[in-house]
Amino acid sequence: MEHDKRLMGRVARGDEAAFTELVGRYGGRLLGVARRLLGSRADAEDAVQRALLQCYLGAGTYRAEWAVSTWLYRILTNVCVDELRRRKGSGLAIQHSHTGDLDDRASHVGLQDLTPGQYLDLHRALVRVPTEARVLLALRYVDGLSYGELARIRGISINTVKSQLARGKSLLRAALTKGGAS
Amino acid sequence: MKTVLTDDMLKGYFKPDAAPGELARQVLLAARASAQASEKLLDRLAIQATAEGISLIRAERLERPATAGARRLVERAREELYEYFQGKRAFFSVPVDLSGTPDFQRRVLEAARRIPFGEVRPYAWVAQRIGHPRAVRAVGTALGRNPVPFIVPCHRVLQSGGGIGGYLFGSETKSGLLALERTTPIYEGCASTHIVCRVGCSSGRRMRPDNRVVFASVQDARSVGYRPCKVCKPSRAA
Repeated sequence: MEHDKRLMGRVARGDEAAFTELVGRYGGRLLGVARRLLGSRADAEDAVQRALLQCYLGAGTYRAEWAVSTWLYRILTNVCVDELRRRKGSGLAIQHSHTGDLDDRASHVGLQDLTPGQYLDLHRALVRVPTEARVLLALRYVDGLSYGELARIRGISINTVKSQLARGKSLLRAALTKGGAS
Repeated sequence: MKTVLTDDMLKGYFKPDAAPGELARQVLLAARASAQASEKLLDRLAIQATAEGISLIRAERLERPATAGARRLVERAREELYEYFQGKRAFFSVPVDLSGTPDFQRRVLEAARRIPFGEVRPYAWVAQRIGHPRAVRAVGTALGRNPVPFIVPCHRVLQSGGGIGGYLFGSETKSGLLALERTTPIYEGCASTHIVCRVGCSSGRRMRPDNRVVFASVQDARSVGYRPCKVCKPSRAA
């Protein structure tokens, strides 16, 4: 398989086939992160499309010292975080935690690791976790990224990554234990 | 029943989704469309200024500003508008001069100016705000004659039923501007300096593109070790 960085070089020269290949490699994971952050599939697809458009148009600004995935996740989380800002102002974040779309996902057969009830509990608890910690949780658990990669993606120190993740998890735990989430 | 959090649960919850097969094609189509974006509008615009600020923006020929100071303001406005249309600016810092507008209209424009970037309000909200709740139609007329569109964001005022309403440059341009503002971030930090700015800040503009990190609030940025820029003072932004 062609190396990511060489593929990016071709994308920067406007090679549409290379871009299609790149989207094939990362589209699912990007969508996974966006979906967990934004709630609905439609909003997640919209965010991923916007992020990929920025990647395609800005491919010339990609620097080879970055892993391609780090660069893609940076752009995607920038789009998602801004979408969350907009919702905070309009109270949409709460509405989105009750969409039918979510129930579909919760009852999906592919989820062997947790019950639909646990899925919903977790989703409602996550809405209460501050944005920065939520973004890090999503990146950490969708793609198993290292602390170092998380730090590069959000432009923060490794210690901050660790403390944010710990804080996010303890808030999740508290919300779940209280049962206030159910 | 209480749910006890485990790492396996988190992994199950965050399992990646399957990407739709059309994703790349849709993005490539959008890329072709965006090439012919709103920059064209900027080419059509003429800008006039006094020594105090920008006084007129229209899609027609205007006289050249008389003084060097006014010409500098026109240049600055053009730069800021260019960045705004590119989705790289979430506020205007160039001053406006509304001294030539009648009192009622000036109050309408001042009220419209208070609508935050990316948000919208009905005509009735503006009427209420200037203390003439029944003058909705007059508010519409005053906004329709906005001497400095974009900078005074009359495009953020809509009909109460959600209808787009009229616009100096046509309703298509109006919805285009609203869509642009919906996808332009407001706060961005620099990963190397750990300073958070309003998007469009002069010190933020020197940032390398791969150092850009978007934040949802200044408070969020602070929580991960960023400090607010002293030039653009992002905490004061709406």
